[in-house]
Amino acid sequence: MTPARKLCAVLFAAGLSLVLVARTAADEPKPTPENTISVRLAEPVPAQKFEPGPKFWITDVTDRSGNPQPMLVLKDRGGVFLDREPTVILREALNDSLKSANLLAADAGSADLAVRLYLFHFGLAPGSGLDLFSKVEFSAMVKNPKTGESQEVKAAGTSIGKGAFRKKNIQKNVEENLQEALKDATRNFLRGVQLKQAVNGLWKAPEKATAASGTSDRRKLDRASLRMTN
Amino acid sequence: MQIRISVIALALTLLAGTARAKDEVSHLKSVEAKHFKAAEGVELSPAFADYFYAELRNELTKSKLAADVIGEGEAVDDADAAKSAVITGTIVEYKKGSLVKAQLIGFGAGMRSLKMDADVVRRSDTQNLCVLHVHVKVDPRWNEKVMAKAAAKQIVNEMKKALKEGKSS
Repeated sequence: MTPARKLCAVLFAAGLSLVLVARTAADEPKPTPENTISVRLAEPVPAQKFEPGPKFWITDVTDRSGNPQPMLVLKDRGGVFLDREPTVILREALNDSLKSANLLAADAGSADLAVRLYLFHFGLAPGSGLDLFSKVEFSAMVKNPKTGESQEVKAAGTSIGKGAFRKKNIQKNVEENLQEALKDATRNFLRGVQLKQAVNGLWKAPEKATAASGTSDRRKLDRASLRMTN
Repeated sequence: MQIRISVIALALTLLAGTARAKDEVSHLKSVEAKHFKAAEGVELSPAFADYFYAELRNELTKSKLAADVIGEGEAVDDADAAKSAVITGTIVEYKKGSLVKAQLIGFGAGMRSLKMDADVVRRSDTQNLCVLHVHVKVDPRWNEKVMAKAAAKQIVNEMKKALKEGKSS
């Protein structure tokens, strides 16, 4: 084989590989208004009752899913994308629900308990192939900013919805399914026993605290008066 | 004559409606399904437990056994605890099956099989309401999630039957 022919062969191979790379890049779905869905809670999830209720503040939401494309929900059939990042969607869902239950602080400074969220999964998970299986999984570090103590609260939500053949229906079903999983996860967090234990362990109601300090002051006074009489 | 037939048809329809409504009456306030544990030696993917849990909750919702199907670890009001149930269970055995056996022998040989034990207990006093044993067999070519679907369906059907028998006796 002459050097010119060798060069031609190398150039041909390089060209072929470039074409293949370009084709795979073209197959990658891109977000458009048609294939983008909006996931949000239809209505706030009712939280469990705390007597009296502490004020929460969500400080930060970190994506720990390790997903390089967190907004891509489904790759097949031209792709299905989320309109916002999953961390934003989760924060909004929790904020809305806490606000409706009057458990949301006005700002970080006035909060009794600060919540830092770590999102582990948001989107579709492998299912039976006949239906859609959505999962939302996160963990929250509930911290008392005054004492510095913190406790972990885990929450997960799942939903199984029917599959579809038409792209329009797939998109609609994925949206409904994800909304259901988000609602389930929010409910699991807000109505969970773990959150109740965290609140009881980390936070004391101001009335109880003042009442306790009041009784201790009274005891001190009694002791002092006893000493005086002796 | 035509009026008589229409009256009878109407009466039958109404009767069928009432019978169905009676069947669907839920007597539990809430039911909580927990993730099933796998016994030693059971080699199933970790995603199976999650999928089965979701499928079990889905089937419980469909069955209308309880007014509310709550997630794992959710708090229940003390007043409702006596009318609430918790389902716990163990995956006792899993055989992944053999495609060769299924193809050559047939008649159920080489099927993928799954055995599960489940307990349904009352939330307030952990009294056992029923004990369920489920055995599911599916084609070895099928996804293990299909098996989870079948198992969840069977558990809910058995539970429905057991609770009905318990209520009548």
